[in-house]
Amino acid sequence: MTDKILKKEEIEKFYLDLSRYFNFFAPTKENGNIVFKKITDPCEIIFDFLNSKVPPKEIVFPRMETLFTYKINGKEIEIEPVNNLNEKYLIFGIRPCDAYSFNLLENFFASGKFQDDIFIEKRKNTILIGMGCNTPRQTCFCTSLDHGGHPHRMDDVDIFLTDLGDKYLMRSISKMGKAIIDKLAWLSDAQRKDVAKAVELSKKAEELIKTKVDLENIAETLKPHFDHPLWKEISENCLGCGTCAFLCPTCTCFDVIDENDHYNNRGKRIRLWDTCQFCIYTTHASGHNPRKSKIERCRNRILHKFSYYPKNYGMLGCVGCGRCIQSCPVNNDLRVIIHKIKNLEKEKIEVKIIAT
Amino acid sequence: MNEAAIENKGEIKQWNPKIIAFLCNWCSYAGADLAGVSRIQYPPTIRVVRVPCSGRINPFFIIKSLMDGWDGVVVSGCHPGDCHYISGNLVARRRFAILKDLLDFFGIEPERVQFMWASAAEGERFAVLIKKITKLMRKVGPNDRFKKKW
Amino acid sequence: MVILMGNIQEENKNIEHSMKEVAYNLLKNKEVDLIIGYAKGTIPLSSSPSFIINQKDVDNLIWDNLCHVNLARYVVPPITKIIDNENIPLKVGIVSKGCVGRSLIHLAKENQVNLENIKIIGISCNGIINRKRIEKELGEKEIIELSVMNSEIIAKGVDFVKTFFFDDYLNESCKKCKIKAPPMVSSQSNVIVGGSVESSSGEDDFSDLTEHESKTPEEKWQTIVELLSPCTRCYACREACPMCYCNLCFVDQNKPIWFGKTTDMSDIVSFHLVRAMHVAGRCVACGSCSSACPMGIDLTFITRKLEKIVKQRFDFTSGLSFDILPPMMTQKMNDKEDFMIGEH
Repeated sequence: MTDKILKKEEIEKFYLDLSRYFNFFAPTKENGNIVFKKITDPCEIIFDFLNSKVPPKEIVFPRMETLFTYKINGKEIEIEPVNNLNEKYLIFGIRPCDAYSFNLLENFFASGKFQDDIFIEKRKNTILIGMGCNTPRQTCFCTSLDHGGHPHRMDDVDIFLTDLGDKYLMRSISKMGKAIIDKLAWLSDAQRKDVAKAVELSKKAEELIKTKVDLENIAETLKPHFDHPLWKEISENCLGCGTCAFLCPTCTCFDVIDENDHYNNRGKRIRLWDTCQFCIYTTHASGHNPRKSKIERCRNRILHKFSYYPKNYGMLGCVGCGRCIQSCPVNNDLRVIIHKIKNLEKEKIEVKIIAT
Repeated sequence: MNEAAIENKGEIKQWNPKIIAFLCNWCSYAGADLAGVSRIQYPPTIRVVRVPCSGRINPFFIIKSLMDGWDGVVVSGCHPGDCHYISGNLVARRRFAILKDLLDFFGIEPERVQFMWASAAEGERFAVLIKKITKLMRKVGPNDRFKKKW
Repeated sequence: MVILMGNIQEENKNIEHSMKEVAYNLLKNKEVDLIIGYAKGTIPLSSSPSFIINQKDVDNLIWDNLCHVNLARYVVPPITKIIDNENIPLKVGIVSKGCVGRSLIHLAKENQVNLENIKIIGISCNGIINRKRIEKELGEKEIIELSVMNSEIIAKGVDFVKTFFFDDYLNESCKKCKIKAPPMVSSQSNVIVGGSVESSSGEDDFSDLTEHESKTPEEKWQTIVELLSPCTRCYACREACPMCYCNLCFVDQNKPIWFGKTTDMSDIVSFHLVRAMHVAGRCVACGSCSSACPMGIDLTFITRKLEKIVKQRFDFTSGLSFDILPPMMTQKMNDKEDFMIGEH
């Protein structure tokens, strides 16, 4: 395997070559936020970014997705799938944490008895070109996760890029990635010093992540504390806005609704993001709600990621991107929450009980 | 041939807006009925929904109508002081005042949503106002900005 | 309540000091069971609402220009404690800037809070920094430390220091805010401890809206679409709003479904339009909705218009008085009818 070099001025060529085969998604700026969008002009790509506001999961699992449309013709109902599942996607510049989150999405959508065809097809047709973080955020904690999270983790992408300043070191990871690099014959070979620099940058980035979250045996720690008053303390200032879940790269909950166009006897079935932080999420048709207050809802988010997920899939349901910490309007910091939970074990900490 | 019929004839090739009209049961619906019984002609642009009182009109109805692709909405109730439920129309008036200003602010032409009073005795007035509203709506054109795209 | 230019950090310190003293005494004298205030956030540009029951924890309270959450949100429904199988409402002291105080007064008017159980710890707010705007303008640079010094906001990062002029980087609603501290309401004067102002709304020319209002409908729509298009329909604006206390919001109603939950522009606009409609005459322009929005949509643009409509049509400013009924709770025979169509 030889590593290649992609010069920054060659990006345009790179884009033109690949956009012929793929829907080329890359980070771009929209209304002041970084988002992954389909690019039509390589000038739109932003290379110097921390991470996108909305995680790139929205490419394979969009905020709103039409599953099928239907037409009512007398007593007959005609169903038409709308998704063009042959479309190929390429996500350029995905961060290692987000790339890892695709594995977690696969756990949910593509394992077990019920499989989601749309997701599976989309995921199959998606190529990930990852980019290492040289300047991780203060809130990033990927190195604390047990899957070997690292700002330069390469395992989950097809091609991995390391920003060396004026050029990228390009390494193919998967077979698909190798095939793509082989096609781009104009790429120059990497020098030994480039590879050495990439290793150095990778080390430096790891050192830059100062946040350490102790997640060892977190599932075990959580188990006996389902009814602990700590949850009240954690949830007391939560607004229940669901921002943490909406911007989480691993959250997969969705709501399915039918939109009727009764004027034209047609309709469509839509899948929308949903979150366990909303009161109607668990409301039964009878009106009963098993998670009636934000205490249960906050607890569910933490338990789902750190207790149920490990139990179901053998891995933590968090990638350490820190988006929930960044965006929480009341600064209900996940790191603090985990710290509090961890301390439950070590010492009997005093939990203040305000209300019941 | 009366005046209205001539006018209608000239309008055949014109675009006819689709207007949803919420009429209060006690005054405006009867007013519209009177216009019909008196054979007063007005353009066939409105589709009537009878409601108990103009105070029954939730702003939802109006916004939802626009989203569903109606070109215009008319709400008509009893004159102030004549409400069958004493103050339903006065409550509605405050609501509509705010709604109209907000719609304007959001870039939905204020002409699209019209509020009027018409009593049970005002068949003539009802016809005149619907003519006026239809004219205004023709000027504004079809509602495709706020209509929900399929 | 004049803001002395160039002394913001000093002023914040004074506010913080007197606030702590009041809070401490309230807890000591058992006048309240609980203080809701702000604590320091774990990341720059943040603050965290904090619930305090012990006197010793009062020191955790802070006041700075990032305390953006409207704390009135936490007392609807009232905080209660079960004692002997009975739900006893707790007595709560709330650290209140002007808009929090106004929210509480308005909520009391709507019978949502019982002011007997509330102590308003009034402080004179000097404006909340528009953190979304600072974040957007810095773009892809991370702030490590943020401080306010002599009418300037100083943002420090790993390899940069950038200053912003304080007055320009406040929330849009804070720039025009005339009621910095909770308004003094004569019949409830014992509720307010700490600072307060005479309840008068002052003059507001709404000059920030003139530009938008002079546009054509097409241009207005474009502006609104541009403003709202990042909306992901997470409803954080609704959850952060002290006035949105409905048990079931209209977007969540599904018998029948009124408004779509999709990210279709027409659905997004209708949500914000109807929400605006619902808080008309009730919104106190605290800017909590914009601060909560994860996508950084500046919703104060819409709430400013609401303020203007209500002020101009009904000469009402919400949360200033117990005696005047809010406009949407009442009506007058001689309300203006200029918006209605007539024969002439």
